[in-house]
Amino acid sequence: MAGSRSAAPGAAAGRVPSGCQGPLGRPAPGGGPASAAGRAARAGRRREALTGYAFTAPAVLLFCVMGLYTVGYGLTLSFAQWNGFTPHWTWVGLDNYADVLWRDPRYAPRVHHAALNTLWVMIGVPLLTVAAAFPLAVLLNRAGRMQAVLRSVYFLPYVTSGVAVFFAWTYILQPDGAVNALLGQLGLGSLRQPQGWLGNPDTALPTMIVVSAWGAVPVAMLLYLTGLQGIDRSLLEAAQLDGAGWWRSTASVVWPLVRPITSIVVLLNLRDSLQGFQTFLVMTDGGPGDHTNVLGLEAYRLAFLKELAPTLGLASALGWLLFAAALILALVNLRALRSTT
Amino acid sequence: MTTITPGRAVRRTRSAHGAERTRRLLTRLVVGGLLALYGLVSIYPFLWMVSAAFKDRWEVVRGGHLVPARPTWETLIGTWNRLHFFDYFLNSVQVTLLTTVLTLVVYAAAGYAFAVLRFPGRTMLSRLFVSLLFVPGITVMLPIVLLENRMGILGTHLGLVLPFVNGTAPLSVLLMTGAFTAVPQELRDQARVDGAGEIRVFTRVHLPLARPALITVALLTAIPTWNEYLLTRVSLNDPGTYTLPLGLQALAAESVPHYNDLMAGALIVVIPVVLLFLSLQRYFVGGLVGAVKG
Repeated sequence: MAGSRSAAPGAAAGRVPSGCQGPLGRPAPGGGPASAAGRAARAGRRREALTGYAFTAPAVLLFCVMGLYTVGYGLTLSFAQWNGFTPHWTWVGLDNYADVLWRDPRYAPRVHHAALNTLWVMIGVPLLTVAAAFPLAVLLNRAGRMQAVLRSVYFLPYVTSGVAVFFAWTYILQPDGAVNALLGQLGLGSLRQPQGWLGNPDTALPTMIVVSAWGAVPVAMLLYLTGLQGIDRSLLEAAQLDGAGWWRSTASVVWPLVRPITSIVVLLNLRDSLQGFQTFLVMTDGGPGDHTNVLGLEAYRLAFLKELAPTLGLASALGWLLFAAALILALVNLRALRSTT
Repeated sequence: MTTITPGRAVRRTRSAHGAERTRRLLTRLVVGGLLALYGLVSIYPFLWMVSAAFKDRWEVVRGGHLVPARPTWETLIGTWNRLHFFDYFLNSVQVTLLTTVLTLVVYAAAGYAFAVLRFPGRTMLSRLFVSLLFVPGITVMLPIVLLENRMGILGTHLGLVLPFVNGTAPLSVLLMTGAFTAVPQELRDQARVDGAGEIRVFTRVHLPLARPALITVALLTAIPTWNEYLLTRVSLNDPGTYTLPLGLQALAAESVPHYNDLMAGALIVVIPVVLLFLSLQRYFVGGLVGAVKG
């Protein structure tokens, strides 16, 4: 992403005016003392390198164990059959991938269905998030003194994102919950869901999409807000001078200028929609039926809820497919971002 | 700029002052109304969480009004006492504190090395950490559990803290490297000339100057850790080690869930993290934006 690309150049740029290395690193003109100075410089550089490794050692060690090792282990496991208890793995090559994708009638249809649901989430959440976050940021940018207070209020969903707030959503989406009651009070009683919004198979997935977008809006809004505050005011005033009203200048000047931010917001939400399943696990557990089953949840089930069935390899394979999909998305998004800027 | 000011002036003289003022007032009202409306959407679940937490069992079943007819502290007190919430609370504090402190120590040091020191493999290493951003949690969750099982730390708080710390690596490395890069090189040179060693330069010069970034990293670590549920759920078995989210889950899994108790529990989970955010939010906002814009 943007972060990974610019981090290294940023760090490198900070090195350029290195007053310490410059004069010492180059042999001083004048012959005699040059070799001594050079040796001292080399010793200094070696000490600096050793210090560098020492400072990064804890992070690298942790990364090797919890990052590299687990990733490698997971990849290896995706080529084997195992239930987590028997002493040996049975190597099956690419069978797990084939089983998950199309071959095994016990798993493939469930994965297909989950993939379809996930696709809807991947379409709905980024769309809703951008549709809510961009106008919100535009309005908030004009809010003046209230901006700080409102920003905190809008941030609550991010700060509390977790089991507690998902239970609160479940509570208000009940058949006799607050959302149904509110609709009745607004004269929209026909929209009420007597089975509850999560109980009706037709409304469950759309409801989950709305709840997910609700949780994604804060960060997106904040990103848009910084983008807006970075826009050169003279551009807007020039547009207004040309006779563009507020709507026109927002749509044809501001919106194109924040395209890179839209790109980041979409990427973040695509990734989370593809992999995230915590909201679904807590609120619906995939139900009713399998109407809100998503890929992450299916992988979780295969990994942790199959007791003695040898599905750990399948879970790993599915996890790796998700990883590959996320990577492809990121690359496509990066390319789109580059071509627009 | 200079070409624009006259244009504005022309418009102002042309339009009647009164009409302009009404229009502006109207715009402000509409903007304010829309902002308030989304504010309501934003806090809607919390309103009902608080409401239910102050209702008794009979009233919460009847649903209806946001403001309880007979508000009571009994529900909150009962949930806190009866359900070991204090134990869960202490467990949560322990896991969150350990994770945050370790994250700060480990990635402040790494960030310092990436930003200030020159050594072979530096760029590659720092990129390696950021690449972790793309690995889905679900892909590594199973290997982590299997590995910890073999190491004998599965089900302990340490077994949670280590992967949590590593999980913050991409963001923490980015933020810390950025903060230390911004410290002028001359300060380090000066300190070195004065005879300070590397560790002294790090702790006396760079760390104090990077305080805002440290707080940002602490917040960005503490908040998700406090709320973490997935790895915690598959790792912990002994109710004595449960964190608040798991305690809440256990409460919800009772045969007949009472929503007033459940919402009281939810409120207990949410309040500390909201307070933490409100008291330190200016660091949070700046840091988050800096992190994503990289």
